[in-house]
Amino acid sequence: MSNPWIAIGALALVALAIPLSMMAVSSLLRPSVPEQGKRAVYESGEVPTGDTRIKFNIQYYMVALLFVVFDIETVLIFPWTVIYQDAVANVGLAEALVPMLAFIGILVIGLGWAWRNGAVKWVRSPRAQAQRVEQ
Amino acid sequence: MAGAFDFVPAIAALPLLAFVVSLFAGQYMPKRGAEAGILATAGSLVLSIWTALTVAGITGSATSYNENLYTWVAGVADGAVTLRLGVLVDPLTALMLVIVSLIALLVHVFSLGYMNDEGETGLPRYYAGLGLFTASMLAFVFSNNLLMAFMFFELVGLCSYLLIGFWFREDGPPSAAKKAFLVTRFGDYFFLIGVVGVFATFGTGLFAPITEGGTVVAESFPQMAEHALEDGESFFGYSAQTWITILGMLVLGGVVGKSAQFPLHTWLPDAMEGPTPVSALIHAATMVAAGVYLVARMYGFYLLSPTALAVIALIGGFTALFAATMGVVKQELKQVLAYSTISQYGYMMLALGSGGYVAAVFHLTTHAIFKALLFLGAGSVIIAMHHNENMWDMGGLKDRMPVTYWTFLSGSLALAGIVPFAGFWSKDEVLFEALIHGFGSTGTLGTMFLVAYAMGLLAVFFTGFYTFRMVYLTFHGDARTDVARDPEPVGWNVKGPLSVLGIGAATVGLINMKPIADLTGLHIDFLHKWLLGPEEGGWPALTSTGLHHYEELMHNVAGIDPAYPLGETTTLLVSALVSLSLALAGVLVARSLYNEPEPVEHTDKLGGAKTLLMHNYYQDEYQVWLAQGVTVPLARAADKFDQGVVDGVVNGISSVSLFTGSRFRRIQSGVVTNYAALMTLSLVLLLVVFVVLGGGV
Amino acid sequence: MVVDIAGFQVADWVALVPSLILGVTAMLLFIVDSIEPRPGTSSNTVLAGLSTLGALGAFLVAGYFLVLGVGQPRGTGAVDLFNGQLVVDGMSLFFVVIVGSVTALVTLASYDYLEGQEYQAEYYGLVIMAATGMSLMASANSLATIFVSLELSSLPSYALVAFLKKNRGSVEGGLKYLLVGALSSSVLVYGISLVYAASGSLQLNAVADALAGGSSVPVGILGVGIIMVLLGFAFKTASVPFHFWAPEAYEGAPAPVSAFLSSASKAAGFVVAFRVFLTAFPEVGGLAGGDPMVDWVTAVTVLAVVTMTVGNFAAATQEKVKRMLAYSSVGHAGYALIGLAALNAPDQGFVLGASMMHLLVYGFMNTGAFLFIALTEHWGIGRTFQDFNGLSTQAPLACAAMTVFLFSLAGLPIGGGFISKLYLLAATAQAGSWLLGAALIVNSALSLFYYSRVVKAMWIEDPSADLEVDSYPSSLYAAVVIAAFVTFALLPAFGLLSPSAFDAASVLFG
Repeated sequence: MSNPWIAIGALALVALAIPLSMMAVSSLLRPSVPEQGKRAVYESGEVPTGDTRIKFNIQYYMVALLFVVFDIETVLIFPWTVIYQDAVANVGLAEALVPMLAFIGILVIGLGWAWRNGAVKWVRSPRAQAQRVEQ
Repeated sequence: MAGAFDFVPAIAALPLLAFVVSLFAGQYMPKRGAEAGILATAGSLVLSIWTALTVAGITGSATSYNENLYTWVAGVADGAVTLRLGVLVDPLTALMLVIVSLIALLVHVFSLGYMNDEGETGLPRYYAGLGLFTASMLAFVFSNNLLMAFMFFELVGLCSYLLIGFWFREDGPPSAAKKAFLVTRFGDYFFLIGVVGVFATFGTGLFAPITEGGTVVAESFPQMAEHALEDGESFFGYSAQTWITILGMLVLGGVVGKSAQFPLHTWLPDAMEGPTPVSALIHAATMVAAGVYLVARMYGFYLLSPTALAVIALIGGFTALFAATMGVVKQELKQVLAYSTISQYGYMMLALGSGGYVAAVFHLTTHAIFKALLFLGAGSVIIAMHHNENMWDMGGLKDRMPVTYWTFLSGSLALAGIVPFAGFWSKDEVLFEALIHGFGSTGTLGTMFLVAYAMGLLAVFFTGFYTFRMVYLTFHGDARTDVARDPEPVGWNVKGPLSVLGIGAATVGLINMKPIADLTGLHIDFLHKWLLGPEEGGWPALTSTGLHHYEELMHNVAGIDPAYPLGETTTLLVSALVSLSLALAGVLVARSLYNEPEPVEHTDKLGGAKTLLMHNYYQDEYQVWLAQGVTVPLARAADKFDQGVVDGVVNGISSVSLFTGSRFRRIQSGVVTNYAALMTLSLVLLLVVFVVLGGGV
Repeated sequence: MVVDIAGFQVADWVALVPSLILGVTAMLLFIVDSIEPRPGTSSNTVLAGLSTLGALGAFLVAGYFLVLGVGQPRGTGAVDLFNGQLVVDGMSLFFVVIVGSVTALVTLASYDYLEGQEYQAEYYGLVIMAATGMSLMASANSLATIFVSLELSSLPSYALVAFLKKNRGSVEGGLKYLLVGALSSSVLVYGISLVYAASGSLQLNAVADALAGGSSVPVGILGVGIIMVLLGFAFKTASVPFHFWAPEAYEGAPAPVSAFLSSASKAAGFVVAFRVFLTAFPEVGGLAGGDPMVDWVTAVTVLAVVTMTVGNFAAATQEKVKRMLAYSSVGHAGYALIGLAALNAPDQGFVLGASMMHLLVYGFMNTGAFLFIALTEHWGIGRTFQDFNGLSTQAPLACAAMTVFLFSLAGLPIGGGFISKLYLLAATAQAGSWLLGAALIVNSALSLFYYSRVVKAMWIEDPSADLEVDSYPSSLYAAVVIAAFVTFALLPAFGLLSPSAFDAASVLFG
């Protein structure tokens, strides 16, 4: 009895061969007329500006980090809300509620500290300011 | 009740105290520390006499004593070696204690005249040295084990170094001191190995077993060796007999060095550079006697090895003759005495080697007295001669210093072995023992004894000759220099010790007049009885250091037996007559050559032999050649080895370490991608080794 | 759940109070920093005081719990929390003692070190957060909590190493630490996943039960997992081959942070390794008798020998004192690994206890040595051996303390390091592992060489002309002197503490 993998291997070969052969045939048949519009970076119909490799402002990361913090928070809070009723019934209000309050409290302290220290305040860098004036 | 034995440690402690007092307070004393020394040695003498009386059974019931007093290294495991300090007192110890403290006392007194009156400086140092010297020797004498004996043996050596080099600003003394120290040290290396060997073999260094209420609580090594021999045990792959011989010979190395036996005798004549009282102390009672005393102390061990005994006897006989011939041509008073010392200790070794235990101790005793006397007498002459020691510059001192002359004459007669002075009795006994044991012992051993005897006998003639050559040149004839015509007078502190010793030299032989005893049947051989002990029980049974025990061993183990070729009495008389007539012949030859108003040197008649004798058979030369031609290249080679191989290995290790370190350092390239690569690689490596190869998959 | 602590019936989480104190302290620090009038103006004194008090509190409570017998057979027995996710026993309390004392010393010393620096509140907050993570590592009893607490201690550490933002060395060290740490964490978490795949459980006791089955265990997967977990911990303990971050991070970091990381963080890494390997994998390693499925004991032996050798040999050729200490810290990780490597000994509790005691002593002497470096950095004298020449003429007390640290690190009988090394040697002798014993001796001998170079420079060499010590910062000095005193006191007091270590260790072997 032959190995069923042989059929799969053959299929994979065919799957590779068809597009490669089609591309090869078309490149042999088509005329080559290069122009700028064809070579430009496609950017949703807009006129492309600048390089693709640009630096993002670090403050994006701060916001992203804060987002991740709360994102993970929901991962924990969501199942907790689902079983909250049962939990209260089983282990009592304090056992069910206090740990979550502590958890949220810790996050709130963190958020408060970050807020207070200006993590969410969009600071304009002096250089960006200068560039804006030049324009 | 505190008996004499409780005060035995004080015998050594007193001079030690004197050493401290002299050293630190000596310069504030009127006699610069001599007081402390004299008081201490007098105290030691009193205690020693008390001890001797106790041993004799006069002042107490216990007649011997052997106790450990202090443990300074305790072996933990079962059968581990424990190192202790302890005291052993038996008749031999008691006798030696009396001799040493007596001589030390007299030397201290004499030093008042020789050092203080001559206005020497640095006297506190001198008296401190004398005190320490005496203390070390006394402690050595009552040591109850081999290691303690070794420690004090070394201390004695150190003190001799300090005292011989007392006049360290001059050229001679420091070099002589160094020589004495190094040569004796050479022997002591063997001794030390022997000590270690004894401890390693028997686990103890006790000379005599310690008993409590009649039962043995700690065995002694001579006894253990005896048992081992009986049981046919073997040590380290050697039979017990061979191993005991090896150990005995190793210890003998120290003895030969200290007692100035051939070939390690060369330090002793040079040691004459030290102050004369020190020479007296060294030669009569302390340093040189230590070697012979050690053999006597562990005689029970040497008797187990006939080979060692034969070697001792041959060394002794040869040294006796050899040193006597060199004494014949010496020009300086103290040099003659120095060679006579070597020669006389040769006799003692001869006696010990040929089974004459009593004779050896007897000669040790008499020699201590008359040699101290001769040195002090020589010191007196040297004071008178303003420290000129050349006998050719003296002459005619007989009339100008009568006390010195008569006492010196007494000592000389004793040295030459003229009846009835001390030396005659003891030397005669030494030779007699060698003779009868030579005839009686079977095989090679007997032959060796006879050879040794012949050398000893021949030396008697030379002894008589050089002794009286010295006497005639120094005291008789006409004064040959101005100083000799008008010698400096000496005080009571010189004459006193001389008188004591002069009488002693004449009479001390009376303690063991064996020929008379045998002839008359009177029991006047006191020393023999002293060392013999009671027939049954008493101290010999406790300490097994009695003569009975030794005689048994001699017969059973060593195979030494007396034989009388001419019958007992006749042999005795013939032997005595032969040695006496040889001594007298020596005296008469000296008299005919040198007893004239203007003696001349006759040594030229000896021709080539004179040169040989004057150069001491080139002993120094060959030893210097050994030192320079052999030892120095050896030392260089060792140094090369040390520098090249040992240091090289050490340096190599350190440089390999540092090199490896710098390689390891290089792993830390600082490029974080390299780190990641290395980490991943090592992870893979570990996985391969421990999971794939480890049989995990 | 209720436990009986000193006669009081209290909730079981009370046993976790030492860690909670640290966590609460961290929160308090953030609150303090949030309520000050203007951002970044919190008082250094308040922050340092609060941190030190918190660390000291954790240290004292943990020590008191040890004395009371909390978590130990003679008291409550091991306290399981959250379905065995955390456990409080003798070993966890012992390591909280180490972490707490080191943290207290470090925060105390930081008061002077941070004088005039920006972001002080962040610094203390990160230190205490990391300390919280380390104390949780000591209690973590499941691979999940282990990973989380390990990350809780690691993430602040990365930031702390890079704390001196304007200093290239500091930033570079921090970045390398972060990258190597990321790689290591991924190795660790991959290993954990494989172990989970093989055993079907994350809780350590459950893992052990699952693996005790024998034949049905997929040994290949488990083996790869165990080796990866081992290397993940090697990162935390700065053991070869995952030690690469250590020299640069320790050298670049502010010296108190180096002290903190090389003492407390290392100890925490070890407690996790001890717990995982002795709770979850004893039978796999053949400790219960029989052939090992995965011979991790031998793997640890290899790592121990290589770590000792690499650390000490590299330390011998350094020119900078701080970097030398960094490598010596790697070497000491090798010594401490003996606790896992010499387990063939009949008395396994003794072996592990010796290692724990070494970490305790090391906590003080190594912290002290790095704090001395902090002192020199505070004075602004250079980093090489030559820069220390004649320092004793200016600061004899600190130099004397440093001498105690160095000689104790080398294993001379001037501090507790002598006895702990002696115990480690005895442990290798018991195990009959001559390779480990020889490596220990050779490396200790070598270490004496480079430690004494510092001592020689300080006491024997002549000072250079411009050597000038102008200030004597009191809190730094106090921290150094306390560390020196404890290092020295551990020589006579070693016997007082070692029984608790041996007891705590023996429990792990049932």
